[in-house]
Amino acid sequence: MNIQTLQDHFWWPVLWSVLKILVVVVPLLLAVAYLTLAERKVIGYIQVRLGPNRVGIKGSLQPIADAIKLLFKEIIIPSSANRFLFLAAPVLAFVPAMLVWAAIPFGPGMAISNMNAGLLYVLAIAGLGVYGIIVAGWASNSKYAFLGAMRAAAQLVAYEIAMGFALVGVLMVAQTLDLSKIVEAQAGGGFWSWYWLPLFPFFLIYFISGVAETNRAPFDVAEGESEIVAGFHVEYSGMAFALFFLAEYANMIFVSILTAILFLGGWYPPINLPPFTWVPGTAWLIAKTAFLLFVFLWIRATFPRYRYDQIMRLGWKVFIPVTIAWIVVIGIALETPLRVLLR
Amino acid sequence: MTGADRWSDETLLQPAWRGVVRMLTHYLPVLIFLFIALLVGVVPLLLGAALGPSKPDSEKLSPYECGFEAFEDARMKFDVRYYLVAILFILFDLEIAFLFPWAVVFDQIGLVGFVAMLIFLGILVIGFIYEWKKGALEWE
Amino acid sequence: MLNITSILFYAFSIVLLGAATMVVIARNPVYATLYLVLAFFSAAAIFLLLGAEFLGLILILVYVGAVMVLFLFVVMMLDINLARLKEGFLSYLPLGLAIAALGVLELAMVYWTAPMGHIPAPAPFPGNYDNTRALGYVLYTQYLYPFEIAAAILLVAIIAAIALTLRRRSGTKSQRTEEQLRVQAKDRVHLVDLRANKH
Repeated sequence: MNIQTLQDHFWWPVLWSVLKILVVVVPLLLAVAYLTLAERKVIGYIQVRLGPNRVGIKGSLQPIADAIKLLFKEIIIPSSANRFLFLAAPVLAFVPAMLVWAAIPFGPGMAISNMNAGLLYVLAIAGLGVYGIIVAGWASNSKYAFLGAMRAAAQLVAYEIAMGFALVGVLMVAQTLDLSKIVEAQAGGGFWSWYWLPLFPFFLIYFISGVAETNRAPFDVAEGESEIVAGFHVEYSGMAFALFFLAEYANMIFVSILTAILFLGGWYPPINLPPFTWVPGTAWLIAKTAFLLFVFLWIRATFPRYRYDQIMRLGWKVFIPVTIAWIVVIGIALETPLRVLLR
Repeated sequence: MTGADRWSDETLLQPAWRGVVRMLTHYLPVLIFLFIALLVGVVPLLLGAALGPSKPDSEKLSPYECGFEAFEDARMKFDVRYYLVAILFILFDLEIAFLFPWAVVFDQIGLVGFVAMLIFLGILVIGFIYEWKKGALEWE
Repeated sequence: MLNITSILFYAFSIVLLGAATMVVIARNPVYATLYLVLAFFSAAAIFLLLGAEFLGLILILVYVGAVMVLFLFVVMMLDINLARLKEGFLSYLPLGLAIAALGVLELAMVYWTAPMGHIPAPAPFPGNYDNTRALGYVLYTQYLYPFEIAAAILLVAIIAAIALTLRRRSGTKSQRTEEQLRVQAKDRVHLVDLRANKH
């Protein structure tokens, strides 16, 4: 068999890929829709309110109603804006938010693409989201949008470095870039053999950086409504705005599932004993992701917004030095008999 | 035999083709995904444009500035500090690019590789300390 | 005969060349930068087609994710006078074309001196071949010295970037956390024992 025969088998695998992609994308978009409802409900209850409760049973159809409303709204293009880039920006934000999911394994080997360099791919593609924001800010030709975009971009890059360093720590222990194998490296006991314990600083820094990367409260100065109204998407309406929203929430879910995969043992049950092992692995992964998403919302409901200089200080002066130091600590531990604690 | 298996049945291939075929099996789905994601992104925009009203007027299309008339161009000159942040980001990103392959082969390269990376990090930490002391990380 | 790899190669090459041409002729510098992003993307795809997984992804991570962000910052925030930029275009054209011709000539020489059709096939990949791992192994055993030189170059770049762009603004009111943390109660509050007046 050579490359020519491979071509004869070309269309069937393409169809298979399309199927796999749809199996990921459709539930993902539904999850995004219901995450918005969950957010309003959770924050509602934290603030002793009910949250949306009119559309459907206990507000269960609210996201559908929102989607239909946004669909029938006018897409306003400001007269001074650059029309093409103004409309391209939401797509530029949305596409990387989808593409990162290509490498995410939902179970052993259950991914759109089981690539060798999954973690590198994820880091590279996730970094592209910044284009949607910068282009939106520039194309809008509006001061708030431009300011918001610049703030967002500077913030994203600062936390991306902390994130990258945190991932290096995971790589040192797991010895592979393949996300499936990183999960498998955490098998063994139960929750105490997952990476959150030996790599605790990386776990915290990765997740907090994830909150900052998705521009979520308390790091939401890029769109802080009390300062710069809505930041980079102030001029957007209707479906163009909805795409930014979809991208932001898809990124939230992505950060949560990646944290679950890298630090919380992916699809492994917390205790390796019968009542827990009966539940299928993917359900565990989804449960862990849902818990981390809840933490996202919990953080938003709890903490007041950071000031911009505080955000930059946390990223550059706290997270980066701590991660560099912890990489050295992990390296020393791996070179000494302490390595049994890590592997 | 599922489709993906048939696609990546490398045992039947000439060795020289294996790498290329593996890239295809791993990244062709990404390419397909790219087109699907573009489609999923563009279709709502078109639908929104088709279904939503379009009643522009000059006030509605003016840039938002809290109800005031916009004064001067929004594309202003910016603080040079943002460039500095972007340049430092590139440099640290390169460091990460060096750290990734290092971390993956940590076990194979042994103590020598570890010490080499300690020297590398040490040199860059000097740069980081310089940056810190110079106040390049202050956001005033 | 065309197979999938060739089709993809030609498709990405056409996009790459088209995007690169647009970088030069685009009127708006922001568009030019975005075309350059597209060019890097196509180049990364070609790297992937060649099996250079790590290089392809690093091209996206470093060039698209970081270097081009800086370019966009600069292009968006500097008032670039387009008319003045275009003025020199014609005068630089002959020199540019000469350099391009030289590049083409060099590539052609490489191509023609290699025995046609006998370009050695790439070495076979072992079963569990991992591009990143192979690269890391070579880099951190055989090429340690160049690797440390890279650190020195990065250090120079950090210092140069700070020296060139760092400007202190006067009259800014920034918070000094270190000083705030160092404050002791006795520095701020002075307790005085006042006798209450008894009437």
